[in-house]
Order: sequence, then structure tokens, then C-alpha cells
Amino acid sequence: MSPALQAAGVSVSFGAVRALQDVDLEVGEGKLVGLIGPNGAGKTTFVDAITGFVQASGSVRLEGREISALPPHRRAHLGLARTWQTIELFDDLTVRENLAVAGGRPSLPESFAEIVFGRQPRAERLAEEVLGLLDLEDIAEELPSNLSQGRRKLVGIARALASKPSLLLLDEPAAGLDTHESLDLGRRLRRLVDGGLPTLLIDHDMGLVLGICDEIYVLDFGKLIARGSPEEVRSNPDVLAAYLGTSAAEVEPDAPGTGTAWAAVAEGTAEQ
Amino acid sequence: MASQIFAYAILGLGSGALIAGTGLGVVLSYRGSGVINLSTGAVAMLSGYCYWALATGEFGVTFPTAWAVVLTLLFSVVVGLAFELGVVRPLRRQPPLAKLVATLGVLLSAQAAIVLAFGNTAHPQPSILPSGVVTLFGVTIPDYNLWMAAIVLAAALLFAAAYRWTRFGIGTRAASENEGYATLYGLSPNRYSMGNTVLMALAMGLVGLLAASIDEVDPITLILLIVPGLAAAMFGRLTGFTTTYVAGVVIGMAESILIYLGGQSWFPTSNGGPLPGIDELLVLLVLIVATFFRAGKIPSRGAIIERRLPRAPRPVAPLRTAAFFVPIAALAMWALPFGFREGLVTSCIFAVSLLSLVVITGYLGQLSLVQLGLAGVAGFLVSHLSTNFGIGFPWAPIIGVLAAAALGVGFGFPALRVRGVQLAVVTLAATVALATFWFSNGSWGAGVLGAPVPPPSLFGFNFGTNASFHGLGGGEPSPLFGWFCLIVLTVVGLLVANLRRSRLGQQMLAVRANERAAAASGVNVRNVKLTGFGIAAGIAGVSGVLLSYSYGSITPKSFSALTAIALVAFVYITGITSVPGGIFGGIIYTGGIFAYALLDWFGLQGNWLNLAVGFLVVLSLVSRPEGGATFLFYGKRPSLWPRASKEPQEGLPAGGAETGGGGQTDGSLRPQHVGVEVTS
Repeated sequence: MSPALQAAGVSVSFGAVRALQDVDLEVGEGKLVGLIGPNGAGKTTFVDAITGFVQASGSVRLEGREISALPPHRRAHLGLARTWQTIELFDDLTVRENLAVAGGRPSLPESFAEIVFGRQPRAERLAEEVLGLLDLEDIAEELPSNLSQGRRKLVGIARALASKPSLLLLDEPAAGLDTHESLDLGRRLRRLVDGGLPTLLIDHDMGLVLGICDEIYVLDFGKLIARGSPEEVRSNPDVLAAYLGTSAAEVEPDAPGTGTAWAAVAEGTAEQ
Repeated sequence: MASQIFAYAILGLGSGALIAGTGLGVVLSYRGSGVINLSTGAVAMLSGYCYWALATGEFGVTFPTAWAVVLTLLFSVVVGLAFELGVVRPLRRQPPLAKLVATLGVLLSAQAAIVLAFGNTAHPQPSILPSGVVTLFGVTIPDYNLWMAAIVLAAALLFAAAYRWTRFGIGTRAASENEGYATLYGLSPNRYSMGNTVLMALAMGLVGLLAASIDEVDPITLILLIVPGLAAAMFGRLTGFTTTYVAGVVIGMAESILIYLGGQSWFPTSNGGPLPGIDELLVLLVLIVATFFRAGKIPSRGAIIERRLPRAPRPVAPLRTAAFFVPIAALAMWALPFGFREGLVTSCIFAVSLLSLVVITGYLGQLSLVQLGLAGVAGFLVSHLSTNFGIGFPWAPIIGVLAAAALGVGFGFPALRVRGVQLAVVTLAATVALATFWFSNGSWGAGVLGAPVPPPSLFGFNFGTNASFHGLGGGEPSPLFGWFCLIVLTVVGLLVANLRRSRLGQQMLAVRANERAAAASGVNVRNVKLTGFGIAAGIAGVSGVLLSYSYGSITPKSFSALTAIALVAFVYITGITSVPGGIFGGIIYTGGIFAYALLDWFGLQGNWLNLAVGFLVVLSLVSRPEGGATFLFYGKRPSLWPRASKEPQEGLPAGGAETGGGGQTDGSLRPQHVGVEVTS
């Protein structure tokens, strides 16, 4: 069986800047994969490349099917769903309508019936389930702009789930959440993945990523510098160097005094 | 022949200079405050009238020309200050679309005020330029053409130099790139905006003065200079003074050469005269080329806060609302005296027109000024199918509406690439081109006299305005026609309400809110837009059919650019995002029942209404962008609606943070960096 997502040799250039260089990444069935890296490493660009929002070279396969030539909405139809770092909800639609847009593509006769005979679009069962899953039923009729940042983040994830995806790409879902909310989000994500939804998680919250992911990729300056289990990545000297801004040779991972950032990471994982 | 063409080109320098001057005004407005100012031509008209009044003694005192010129330029400065303080500054934080609509309001008010004060006729005024002649290649050319081109060139060079080298110009550039940083550096965006607006008004004052050499002053010609002026400014990417000048002068020369070619034997003719509207078509072409190949590089402004269109509320119970109001209106059709009845019929027809704007602007977020032109397409087709081919009701209207819808989809294609304010600009030019090239054409359109439209009848039963059944008040139009219009309006209104509740409507609003997120959610943005354009154009076509039946004949005047602008202004204040907003707009629209009541009870002409609506547009954009009817019909307090001021996080322009190589703005790693730096 082919993996949910198989990206090979993905490169993106903005003018003379090479934002991504030959990135290979795989998300297996039922796996929660993390993608981390310092600011400007190219994480969001990678998501944009996979979903078709930037011009990219290389191959992108979704469940074995090559999708790199398709426009974004066709990729979405094939089961690719994403969230945005900047949330990007439809501000003029209620939460339920936000989910409905992602949930169903009306056929021509359906649209005709809805407009001419005023037939109500049937409530998507999946959308209702998703609202329940993320505890959003009470705000289903609210406008996104009336919600807190945390709630809006959840609506963004709910909208992605409502499209019945075969692969979920989450771009910094925990940014702006407090520790408690972040932990809560992590538990929900783990449940989703265990329920059979392969997911690629991008986040700055090391506690979250190291704590719940099955496998982690690390990007720096547009290149993959490491790949492995959370334990492997945590002890990888290149990763340390990338985060601490010094070359690997100068850093002793286990030496006392250098580990301020790492200590925070370790504490974060210990809490899980 | 070559020398003739050259001579005609020189003859076109004068009007080319006016076009270039108007283009410079557009550039100054855009650089100063990010407004695409459609009222620059109107400002020139105000100055033209001021000069005429001073120089001919309209107010009792006749000033010598030199004094009149100086006083007119002073007057322009005052107009500029009023424009800045009344329109530009209060709307500084509104999205570009709202600013553009506000300038439409200014245009409408200025025009109405001039017509109310001085009437519709043209007035002759003394030229400010020497009236010598030069002879070039055997053709005698009045030398004011050369003077005008030289004066406007001097202005263009002056502006260009000032922008490059003076503190004022550099400050303006800084403020337009990023208001926030400019403020941090102690520059005042307000002051630069003010300076540019005053410069714009001065430039337009100059245009108004120079125009005295070419044309008598009237309340329409100078206003419509904005269309070729915009074409020139678009060519200059809304920022380049010299490019704009060259483009404007070239357009003027090309139009003049077209006049020469029109006299040639091979030139296509229509009813004995040269084919009309070629020059408007040319301007449209220039605009389309400019928007497609130059607009991509128009620098957008780094404004502090951007607000979107008002929200489009979900209709609560459209059938129940209709069941309550429609019988009342039906009864009124029968019972009202004929003047009011005619007003009610007109209201119904324009309400349909406005519902087309509700779909395309309110739901889809695209400001199109060509909807009225599309209505005209359907109306003229009905006229010609009936009189030339004997095709009557219902087939002629069906063909007309389908043709309008098809043409609407055609206009939708450029809208896929051109967005927001630029679409408004292109569609305005398209309306002008349609009106002159098609509707005024002697063979395909109506010429100047109007084309007859036989009354609608089905199975020998006439339900046109002249049907034999008369209501309580007697006279025409027959209540039968009124009921026909009412039924059509009800059906269209319910369809548009259903559209908002349907998934297609939700997709439209999703596209309006965020195209990228819509695409990521599986919405085919292109198809949704084209469908929306088609639906809106079809609705516009329906209103055009009704309009042609209601007058019994159809004239190009009904589909002018100014009417198109007035329609947008009316529906903006009643609520462009909802069905009740569209219907309310129809009720108060000039020629409708409210306007008739004002005339009948208070003796107030329709222009008073236009004057008021122009002001109200600006006022409502400042205070309540949702529009009045939305508020009335949905009974929610305005505080429930999104206000940008409450959401500091929304301030970032969409797309700024998430593009460009993963420029993560989240700072959660920064403390760790800091920690390392401190310890190491």
C-alpha cells in the first residue's frame, strides 16, 4: 500500500532565493509526522508546495497518485486538507457554513434545486460529527470574528476535517494557544490519527511535536537536516546546531550550560 | 494622406492634454491616499463651471480672464480641501473598494448639484489661450492644441520632479509604502495625503480651465474624461506621471485620427454615418491591455487596517416576507394614481437591476459597473428581435436574457485575473463602449431616436403598459404590466435569497472572503466566479427586458455610465449585500415611487435625490458600511457585526504573513534564542 503522502525532490524558488531544496518527506498510513525547523526554514512553503499554492518542482504523491500538476481545489477533492498559520476562515460565514463549504461540492442539479425550489442544503452528517468531536456545537451559528483565537484555530481544523480528508496538513495549530490548550489539542490530534487519519504537523511548540509525533523531519534553510523518531531528533547534533545557531562542532549536546533551549524541550516532553 | 493623418494627430493634442491631465489627477490621488478616484473629471467640471460663472458674470460680477483663472484655481484648492477632509480622511482605513465607491458618490453629488444650479444645457465661456493658428502640411491648426499639450506636459514634469527630489514627494512615497513605518519616522500620512489631494484638485482645475478652448461647459463631458483618463493612468501604473501623460496624449491623438479615418470611403458606416463608438472601444481596449499587462506592477499600499465588504446576512424567512409585502404592492399597483403607479413599476424594475449587483458585488465581492450595459444588451435584443424578426414574448426576452448572461460570463474571464477596484474601472469603460458602440449605432442599436418595443402579450392577451385594463386611478401604465413586473421581481428576489442559503451561495461568500482558503477547501474559484457573473448578468438582462417594455421604446440614454454609477450609489446605502437592500434601493431610486412622491408632494426633482444619495454614500461608508436596509430587516444590533477596531490581529493584510518562504511571524522560539545568548 502506498503511503498517504510521498513528496520527493520538492524544490521552491522565489526569484534567486531557494526556499526549498530537494525535500523528501513521507507520511505513512495512520502516522502522525512532525515537521519542525527554525523561523524561515521553509515549513509553510513546504505546505504551500504540497497543496499547490506555490510553484514547485519535484513529485508529490497522494496515496500513490501524482498530484503535483493539479490546481489546489483538485488536490482538495482528492483528499488533501490543510489549515493555515493565519487561520484564514471565511469571515462572512457562520462556523457551520464554514464547514459546509469544505464538506460538500454541490452538483449542478443540487444547486438548481437549492436555488429554484429553495431546498435547504442537507446538514452534512460529517460536519456535525466534526463539530461534536472538537466541542464546537455551541458556537456553530457564530461568526468567526466573534470567537477567541483558540476557538478560531479549532474551527480551522474542523473545516479541514469536514472535507473528509485522506491527509491532514496542520500549519502551526498550537501557535497562540496556552500550554493547557496546546496539550488538549495534542490529545485530540493523537486520537484523530489513531482513528486512521494520517497527519503532517508543523509547529513551534516542541513539547507538542516531540510529545505526540511518530516521526519527525527537521528543516533548516530549505533543506532537510534530520529525520527520525522524537528521541533520535532530540539527540541529533545538526538539529541542535540549527536551533542554537552555532555549528555542530561547537556544541556538546549533553554539556551543561548549552542546554537552555533543550532543557525547555525536555521539560515539555516530560509533561506529556 | 500621411500629412493629413499627422495634422489630425496634432489636432488631437488638445483633447489628449485634457485626458492626460485627468490621468495625472488619478495618479496624484492614488499616490496620496490609495484612492482610485473616479471623481477627478467631476472636479474638473466644477472648476470649469466656476470659471464660466466668473468670466461671464453669472453671479453679477464679470471678472477679467486672468482674475477668473486665479479665482478658479483658488476654488479648486477649496474643493480639494473639502474632498480631503470630507471623503479621503474619514475613509482612510476603509478597503480600496469602499474608497472607490465613495468617489462615485462625490461624482453623483457634483453632477446633480451642477444640474440643479445651472441646468442641463451647455454654456459658452471665453478661452484662456491665445486663438492663433499654425499651418502644418497645408492644414490649418488652432495653436491652442499645442499650448494645452505644453502646459499639461509642464505640469507632468513638475509633478515627476517634485516626487523624485523634494521632501514632500519622498515623504509621500514613504507613506504610501508603509503608513505604519512612516508614522514611526515622524512623517504624517495625513499631511501628505492632504497635499496630494490639493495638487490633484489644482491639476483638475487646470483641466477645467483649458477645456474652455475646446468645449462649452456642460454637466457631462468633463466628468466622463475620467474613462480615457483612467486608461492613461493605468498605463502609468497609477504612479508614473510622464508615462500617464504620454498615454493620455496618444489616446487623444488616436481619437482625432479616427475622426479623420471616419471620413474615408472604406471606413465602416452605419446608417450613412461613420460607425460610432470606435474611439470608446479603443479606450476600453487600452484599459484592458493596461490592466492585464501593466496592472500587475501597480504598487499596492501598505495600509494599516483593511476592512472588507459588509457581511451578507442569511435571509431568515424570504417566503414569509414576500407573502406579506407582495400583496400590499399588488394592491397598490391597482389603487394608486397613475404617477405613483408608474413610479412603483420603475421601482420594481430597478430593484431587479440592483439585485444583480447584490449577487455580483454583495455575494461575490466583485464591483461591476457593466450590469446596466448588460441590461441594455437584453433590452435592445428584445426590440430588434420583435421589430426585425417578429419574435415576441416570451422568446425574445429569453434570448435577450441568455445573451446577457453569456456576455456576463465573458466579462467574468478578465475578472479572474483583475480584481476589486481594477474590475470596476474596466467595467465602467465597458459600459461607455457598449452605450456608444452598440446602443447608439443606427443599425444595431437605436440611433439617437430610440428603438420601438412592442408590448408583451401571450396568446393574444396584452399585458403591456397600454393594456386595456386600468386600475382605480386610470391612465397608463396598466396595473397588468405592474403586476407582471412585481411577479418578476418577487421571483428574482426569492431566487437571490435562496442563492444566499444554497451551497453555491456559500461558496461565493467563501470566495469573497478568502480565495486561497476557498481553493484549499475544494472550491473551484474560477467556476464559482463565472457562475456568479452569469447569474448576475442574467438578472441584469431581466431588468433590461422590463425596462424596454415599460417605455415602449428603448434609448441609449437609459444605459449611460452615469446611471450605472447612480445605481451602485443607491444600493450601497440601502445594503448591497442583501435582497431587502436591493429592493429598498429600487424603491428610493430616481424615477421610482419615492422620487415621484418627493416630486409630487414637495416639488423636489430627481437631482435632489441624487445629490443627497451621493452625500449619503460617503456618510454611510464612514458610519455603517453594512447599509441601512440590512440593519432594518435583520434586526441585529450593529455592534454584533465585525469591526476591525476590535480585532487588532486582523490588521495584517491577508497574505502578508503566510507567503514568501515560510516567514513565520510567531515568536515562540525567540525567548530560547535570547536565553542561549545570555548564557553563552
